[in-house]
Amino acid sequence: MTEKATLLTVYRLLPQTNCGECGEVNCMTFASSLLERKKTVKDCPPLVKDVKYRVQAVKLAEHIAPPVREVVLGTGDRVVKIGGKQVMYRHDLTYHNPTAIAVDVSDRLGDQEIVDRVNRAERFQFAHIGEVLRLDAIAVRAASGDPQRFAQVASLVAKATSLPLVLCSLDPGALRLAVEQKGVYERRPMLYAATDENWKDVAALAKQYSCPVVAFSPNDLAGLKALAKTLKTMGNEEIVLDPGFWTSGKLLKSSIENLEMLRRSAIHRGDKDLAYPIIAVPAVAWIGESTEPTTSAYKESYLASLLLTRFADMVIMHSLDFWALLPVVTLRQGIYTDPRKPVAVETGLKAFGNPNESSPVLLTTNFALTYYTVANDVEAAGVTCHLLVLNTEGLAVESSLAGGQFNAAGVRDLVKSTDVESKTKHRKLVIPGMAARLKGEIEDLTKWEVVVGPRDSSEIKGYLDKYWSAKVQ
Amino acid sequence: MVEHKRDDLTKALLELAEKLGQIELENVEVAVEELTFHLQPAIAAATRGRAALLPPVEKVPDTLLEAEFSKPEEVYAGQVAEVVLGATRAEGGTRSTEVRIGGAKVPPFYSFEGMNPNRPAVAMDVFDMPLTLPKMVRQHYEDVMDDPAAWAKKSAREFNADVISFNLISTDPGLKNTTPEDAAELVRDVLKAVDLPVIVGGSGNKQKDPIVLEKAAEVAHGERILLNSVSTDTDYKRVVNAALKHGHSVVAFTPMDINNQKKLNRLLLDVGLPRDRLVIDPTTGALGYGIEYSVSLLERIRLAALKGDPELQMPILSAASNAWGAREAWMKSEELGPREYRGPLWESVTALTMLMSGADLFMVSHPATVRVLKNVSDGLFGVGETDQNIENWITAIE
Amino acid sequence: MSERKCDPAELHSDVQLDLDQTKFPMDIGEMYEGERIRRPDLYAEFGGVDIPKKFELVLVKPLTEVQDGKVEVIGPDLPDLKVGGAYPLGILIEVAGSKLDRDIEGVLERRVHYFTNYIEGVMHVNQRTDVWVRVSKRSYERGMNSLKWVGRALILLFKRSLPIVEKIQVTFLTDPTKLEEHLQEAVKVYNARDERARGLTEEQVEDFYSCVLCQSFAPSHVCIITPNRMGGCGSISWFDARASSNVDPKGPNFPVKKGECLDAIKGVYTGVNKIVQDRSLGAIQQISLHSIFDHPHTSCGCFESIAFYVPEADGVAIVHRDFKGPTVNGLAFSAMAGHTSGGTQNEGFLGMAIEYLRSTKFIQADGGWKRVVWMPQQIKDRVAESIPSEMRDLIATENEAKTTSELKEFLKSKSHPVIEKWKELEKAGPEVEAEVPPETLPTLIPAGIEIPAVGGGFRIILKNAKITAERVIIRREESKR
Repeated sequence: MTEKATLLTVYRLLPQTNCGECGEVNCMTFASSLLERKKTVKDCPPLVKDVKYRVQAVKLAEHIAPPVREVVLGTGDRVVKIGGKQVMYRHDLTYHNPTAIAVDVSDRLGDQEIVDRVNRAERFQFAHIGEVLRLDAIAVRAASGDPQRFAQVASLVAKATSLPLVLCSLDPGALRLAVEQKGVYERRPMLYAATDENWKDVAALAKQYSCPVVAFSPNDLAGLKALAKTLKTMGNEEIVLDPGFWTSGKLLKSSIENLEMLRRSAIHRGDKDLAYPIIAVPAVAWIGESTEPTTSAYKESYLASLLLTRFADMVIMHSLDFWALLPVVTLRQGIYTDPRKPVAVETGLKAFGNPNESSPVLLTTNFALTYYTVANDVEAAGVTCHLLVLNTEGLAVESSLAGGQFNAAGVRDLVKSTDVESKTKHRKLVIPGMAARLKGEIEDLTKWEVVVGPRDSSEIKGYLDKYWSAKVQ
Repeated sequence: MVEHKRDDLTKALLELAEKLGQIELENVEVAVEELTFHLQPAIAAATRGRAALLPPVEKVPDTLLEAEFSKPEEVYAGQVAEVVLGATRAEGGTRSTEVRIGGAKVPPFYSFEGMNPNRPAVAMDVFDMPLTLPKMVRQHYEDVMDDPAAWAKKSAREFNADVISFNLISTDPGLKNTTPEDAAELVRDVLKAVDLPVIVGGSGNKQKDPIVLEKAAEVAHGERILLNSVSTDTDYKRVVNAALKHGHSVVAFTPMDINNQKKLNRLLLDVGLPRDRLVIDPTTGALGYGIEYSVSLLERIRLAALKGDPELQMPILSAASNAWGAREAWMKSEELGPREYRGPLWESVTALTMLMSGADLFMVSHPATVRVLKNVSDGLFGVGETDQNIENWITAIE
Repeated sequence: MSERKCDPAELHSDVQLDLDQTKFPMDIGEMYEGERIRRPDLYAEFGGVDIPKKFELVLVKPLTEVQDGKVEVIGPDLPDLKVGGAYPLGILIEVAGSKLDRDIEGVLERRVHYFTNYIEGVMHVNQRTDVWVRVSKRSYERGMNSLKWVGRALILLFKRSLPIVEKIQVTFLTDPTKLEEHLQEAVKVYNARDERARGLTEEQVEDFYSCVLCQSFAPSHVCIITPNRMGGCGSISWFDARASSNVDPKGPNFPVKKGECLDAIKGVYTGVNKIVQDRSLGAIQQISLHSIFDHPHTSCGCFESIAFYVPEADGVAIVHRDFKGPTVNGLAFSAMAGHTSGGTQNEGFLGMAIEYLRSTKFIQADGGWKRVVWMPQQIKDRVAESIPSEMRDLIATENEAKTTSELKEFLKSKSHPVIEKWKELEKAGPEVEAEVPPETLPTLIPAGIEIPAVGGGFRIILKNAKITAERVIIRREESKR
């Protein structure tokens, strides 16, 4: 295992001249940017240009490289990065590069159907907690067995979307035909896949056109490693691993074991031959057994979600049903949230029910979890009230009280900026029970009367029923 | 591209080719002093941020390179305790089966380094009074909502629950304020109606729950039920004493705080609760509303247990039915698609995510989730053959 | 007297329900902590700006000398006072318990502030000889008509939260003569305490203490607290940790036998290493208590300040959480905090309490204050008495140096001790790898440059060649769609 990269170990591999050509103030801040993955080694011109730094530049690139390589799909502004994982468990740091979701398009479909499907995939979106969740790539599937048709469809899809492409065929001839279409090779499509039968041709093709390439070796990790090693020797750098995925029975067990073993080999054992992102195909839920489309979509959805928790850096799905994709993109968003950074919601004044000037005014923090818990409890209980959301830098009540982000001056400013006084006749503010110690200070600064509410938002309804009308009178 | 001074011949040839499309010359001989071919694929392929360390030489091997793969197994210093739910006649109760949870020796489903001894167990929620439930859930229980015993029976027989989670919400002073004694009688009814192990939950009222659970414990003497729950700010001593007196286990609940969980576990063990009678509930966040906190929390707890931290070596309970708190699960919406699928799927995904993070026992509301959990568990435990051929998935999917 | 329903659950979460506070005329609970008593509602106040004589003192006494539950008022009581007036007050609390010793007095004394504030109608500010207490008219009218009620409430709160306090009695001194006597004694006690705290060293104690309060945020982290090293959050001294460990042995603080001293300067102890290995579940093997380079102490994320290495000056700089903007090395507190936290050991970076700057062992393995080259003015002022006088003017602040070049200039001009090392380092020369022949070098492709060909492309050069071909085909390229 390589030595852990820290500010000093990285700094030592830099020129240490503080020349500023990288755009940073000095080498130390550049080291920080490198570690935060905001910049790369190539952003230091002296390291790149000066021969005397060449060896340490390579050392540095290796030193800071994540144990799972990053692979870039596509070109232009719809580029998608996968892999680049630093740790096995998100609590050890964070997960980088959310799992890319590709939706497949079969070359058996008619041209119009294809374009419609691609458009639907591109248009899919869902807004949740300040982010817009989308799909990431299109996988063109050589289902027809006709290389010409496959190439046609590849070209058609390339024209219809700017999303990154995956070309799926085990026939290297068909792959080549498709890749060499004008408009396709420029996009650096990911080639799915090299196997123990077709590797020579597929590897050469990928190398020639600088395409990322998937090594597919169903339930055979030694074979997968051999494939990956060979692909690398032939000059391919952007390799993705597919150990195969089965949806039930003994082979489901094996599938999950393989994913775990691959990731652990890369991260804990430093196995360079397996240090690549993993792709899984939950779309296999649609194969065989006369199943209703809804059942297949349901199964594919929960299996894709399961794969998100077991190291899949990319998945290929078949369903385009909104309800089936929704849990997958939602879970992905959650898991890839950086656990080190608090998630914050918008501050300001929110209304629940249809509050009027006599309705209670409650106060909470802008920590997303707190806010949504309070909001859900208030909504579910059918409470009518105003809710002031205070900027505590995304910290919950207890932490922000301790750290000072939750303070009386902030509340005063919030009252002013939201102009809540124009919406209420009374001047009573209900604060979270845990913030009792700020009561006096808030009163002094806002001139409102502060009422200490319950410690748990589930008790809000009961609390207001008991005390609010009495106090307002 | 040939770098060479073009003479008239070459020029003429190229013009001809342009006009005709293709020309062929036979028996050609070219003599040159120096000729340079520069061959490059005609693609623009640079993108920002691409790693570009190229090996200086390329080789094309004849066969695949050799590679050995050995399983990256690790050794663990500790394991999770096992807890038994339900007591059969031989053990002093009247259940027909007992359900064993916990006992993990390796991280969840890292089966290449060991098989954990127990399958995850699934409990279905039953309530002691009719209540507002999301439509997709309620439709399965409309006929039994007035009768907890019938509700429990249906969950056991039709929906295949492993355990019944019976929640005495009517004891809430804000609801019906049912007395602990009356609530305990309902527990007796449910115990008679099903022969599965039972979890008994209070209403969440911190003052009353310990008394309610105490009475339930009395009535259920010998049945090894699970008392759900105690926390650091309830009278946990009272509940533990009842558990000791009547032979039950206890759930220790904390709101997503690992230090609080360790402290609560310490306190409970200190007042005499045996290690094999303690189940923890560190809180399950709904998908989209904090599930990732639970993921990391459970993963940390399980890893710490396996690494030898005695304060966290307990089986984990996940209230996956919390998923229904998410509006995406129950709200009607054209855009989001039919909630008939969306709802149960929301609970299923929440449950599966917790399963992969280390949960040993689940509380769920929808029958579909029970099926999904059991189905996936089967596979993960290696049960069942696969006749699926996925190697040709590219052509096999319609 | 009181019809008020008292909800026990509103009290501190660790409280045991054995004292009956429903018998009190006023309410008691954490929700009153922030309660302010303003002039219109003021019954009377004690201490404050205009009253010179006031104090608050907790003394640990032998079990035989404390009368459990006794509350006494020596001098005028509430009914004797003029409404709205200000009066002198001494609060004397005597405690006894088999596990208590005098070192815990300060910790218990700090609790008086919180407990007093939990009483509805009573407000408490400051401590020791600055104490200021207000009593509200409302509570007085409802029956809290004697300081004895305040005393009884304090006893109830102490007994509930701190079972190691086995006996407790409270005395209020409002008689000026009696107050004066006790005030003299109190001041002597404060001074003795402070001196003891300052003087105590790691060598003089057998036990250090640990704190795992912030393990929620950093699982592999544990703080080692010694008389010369406080917890990184700045809230817990060795005395506090000791008190807490006695009060709540199952809590976040517990004693750590220091074991054998492997290195006195760096502060390496076998007992410390063992506990760190255990608690971090093997992630951390060894810790130096007083070095930022060699196995520095880990931090979670709530540290007050960071000590960081500035390679250009071969010196150590300090920055605190409130410092806005980039420090002398170009990184702000928040940027460095990210690299220093999470329970990892980071050579050259140390999260720490500001109080650690006052420690006599402050980074002694690295040269202590002689190695410090830069710190914010605010902190420099705050710990001024702890900076050796000869170093005070040699350390730059944000006013003298904002960049490493400015810093080097400053340090040179002041002949700071670190410049000695610079001469050595300059002689050694920059660390550059040995020359390697270009043909064997890997190719590194610069960013942002459009390369027409990537991944291949080669030249074939033919000299004096004759090329024969049976057939040469020249084909026009089809224009692609």
